[in-house]
Formats: sequence, structure tokens, C-alpha cells
Amino acid sequence: MTVIDVRGLTKQYGGLHALNAINFSIEENKIIGLIGRNGAGKSTLLKCLAGYYHPTDGQVRVLGEDPFDSLFVSENLIFVDDEMSFSSEITLADILQTAARFYPNWNQTLAQRLFDYFSFRPNQLHSELSKGKISTFNMIIGLCARTKITIFDEPTTGMDYSVRKDFYRALLKDYIKHPRTIILSSHLLNELETVLETILLIDEGRFVIQESVDQLKEKSYGLTGSEESLSHLPGDVQILHEEELSGNQVYQVILGDLTEETKRKLEKEDVQFSPVSIDDVCLYLTKAKRGGIDHVFE
Amino acid sequence: MLDHASNKPIYIQIAEWLENEVLSGRVEAGEKIYSQYQLADRFNINPATAAKGLKLLAEEEIVHKRRGLGMFVEEKAVNIIREKRKNKTLKRMLREIVKEANYLDVSMDELSEMLRRIHEEEGEEE
Repeated sequence: MTVIDVRGLTKQYGGLHALNAINFSIEENKIIGLIGRNGAGKSTLLKCLAGYYHPTDGQVRVLGEDPFDSLFVSENLIFVDDEMSFSSEITLADILQTAARFYPNWNQTLAQRLFDYFSFRPNQLHSELSKGKISTFNMIIGLCARTKITIFDEPTTGMDYSVRKDFYRALLKDYIKHPRTIILSSHLLNELETVLETILLIDEGRFVIQESVDQLKEKSYGLTGSEESLSHLPGDVQILHEEELSGNQVYQVILGDLTEETKRKLEKEDVQFSPVSIDDVCLYLTKAKRGGIDHVFE
Repeated sequence: MLDHASNKPIYIQIAEWLENEVLSGRVEAGEKIYSQYQLADRFNINPATAAKGLKLLAEEEIVHKRRGLGMFVEEKAVNIIREKRKNKTLKRMLREIVKEANYLDVSMDELSEMLRRIHEEEGEEE
């Protein structure tokens, strides 16, 4: 079942296209990574899904409804980021109680256990928390709300490595028990790629690719060889990146389906295959065409 | 256990790990194999990735699905895995070895001798 459907979504502020005619849909009960560089439009997109923003143009459907001004969507979707605002008059324990009243599937036992595990004190105020602690606390709210759709916008801001690992683990364990649609945005993939099923990549407000992590990984290759030998690649292969190495060798990152036969042929011509991280593939897919940092120093 | 930096997709690594469980006898013919959720929890991966690994084994008739009960190891599973690995994995590794030997001008006799010695050493360790 499709839980999110976005058609021609455009969001403009002050003449600037934050989002430009974006189309995609998301099936229920998947964990999706929304990937893009800083300023790509990730937060704007997620806020449109959460009903915080009204699109300039296009259509957004969440659980079959327009999320803007929808009480149904706000009950069944939680949007977590480091700017979630809570009253500074009430304690952390009170915030959990309030969330428990609002979200129908809230799990207080899990909330309490995570609260203790991450050493929060019931009488603390949200405004007293450090950056990392704010993210950790908000993550607890996001997980325990167990809404049909859970959106985490850059959830690990300020978290140290061990807390990040705990977060991904907690997310996965709770998802296994209670499958639901979870969207995580991040500019970095490597730590969470195994937890994701699909990635959605955007760049400069535009849709770039939506693909399963496994497939993307299977389709991407790093190749090193002579220019001559690399020219025999099948025509439908996309060359994402090319670098000249010493000794007339070229390094290419490609995206495409290579048959065993093609691979063997390339190997015979001394083309070497090397793994490419999904992070690098995303980077090359969104890289400014104007040349990299080296260009600045030329 | 999983090599995230490898070219090999995670679901194929999962399939290979499961094959090793069967080869070593930790999971025997007729027994139920791990579910996608058990694998997801154990390896900290998305359950859909784990399911793909299981599907691969089902396609190769190493396991079969029993509706509502899970996946079970086929009677001939060990043979199928052995044959497949011999024909694919082992051959590929040998090809690498022969290539390296050619680079180093190691003769076939010399290579056989090395192989025999290593085989003996490995045998002693067990």
C-alpha cells in the first residue's frame, strides 16, 4: 500500500526553488533514507510531508490525505528534528506523559526504559539539555510514538558515535517488532545504510534517484584500467565519475548492470574492480558539474 | 561477520553465511532456518535485505518455504551447496591462484607441492 504520494511538489520561498517538481511515492512499512547534501531541500520536503508547509505547487498525499491542517495525519505521523519545541515549564517526565496522551500507540514502557538507559532525569527541563541530549530525547519520543509514519530529520545531530549506534539498533529492533514507515534524512549514509531498505536522493530541490540500497550497491562499480579497455563498456552504463591516474590509467565509477560475461571480458583486459561506497555513489550523483575542490586551488 | 566495505551485496553475504551454517551442520536438513527477523536482529540489517538472502537460497532449492511456518533446509541442501561452491567459488579462487603463480613464474609442479603442504598443515590443525 502506498502511504506517501508526492506529485509535482514545488516549494518556493522568496523566489528560490527549495523544491522543484518532485515526484515519488513510498510504500508502507519500509525504512527509507532521504539523502542529499546540505541545502538540497531535505527538511523542506519532510516538512511538506508532515503538513508543516503548504506546497507552492503540486500535490502531497499522506495516508490518503492532504497533510496540511490534517488532524488525522498529525495523529499518525511524527516529525522529529532538533528544533522540536517543548514548553520550558514542564519536565522531561511530563513531556513523555503528554506525548502518551496524544499518540494512540505510544509505548510508555519502552519510553521509560530508553529514558533510564540514556540517563535522563525526570525533573530535567528540555531547555537544559545539550545538543546531543536533545537529539537523544527527541529520538525517544519519535520511536515510542509508534505512529504509522515516523520521520526523523537529521536525527543524530550532536550524538556521539556510541549513541548513534544505539539509536540505529533501537530503531531496527522496534521496527522488527512493529513494522511501520520510517523516513530518516541524513547527509551521510555509511552508518545507517544497512538499516535502510531504500534511499531517496535529492539534489538542489530535485529528485535524483529512488532505489533499494542493495540494488544501488550491486549496480555500482569502481573500475581502473586503460582508457582503451574502459571504452568497451556497454552503452547503457552511466559513468558517474572519472579520474586520470598516472601511467595512462583511468579510474571510473559507473552505475549499470554488468553481465558476468562483460565482467570477465573487462578483467581479461586488466581492468580492476573495486568496491564503491554508497556514500560516494550519492556524492557523484549530486556533484556540482563545475569541478571539485581541486578546481578552487588551480 | 559482514563486510560492509565489500563489493558483495549484504544479502549475498547473508546467503553465504546461511550456507555455512548448513555446511557446518549447525542447521541440519529438515530443520527450520533463521527467519528474516532473526537475521535482521543478529546482523543489524533491514529485514528486507535478510529476506532477499533467504529468497536466494529458496531459488537454489537449498531451503523451501512452508506456508506460515517459515523456511526449512532441504534434504539435499549440503550437496547442492558443495557442488555450487566447488564449481563457482573454489574455481574462482583457483583461477586467482594460478594467475598469481603465472606472474611469479611458479611452475605447476611447484604450485601442487605448495598446495599439498598447506593441505597437510590444515589437516594437522583440525
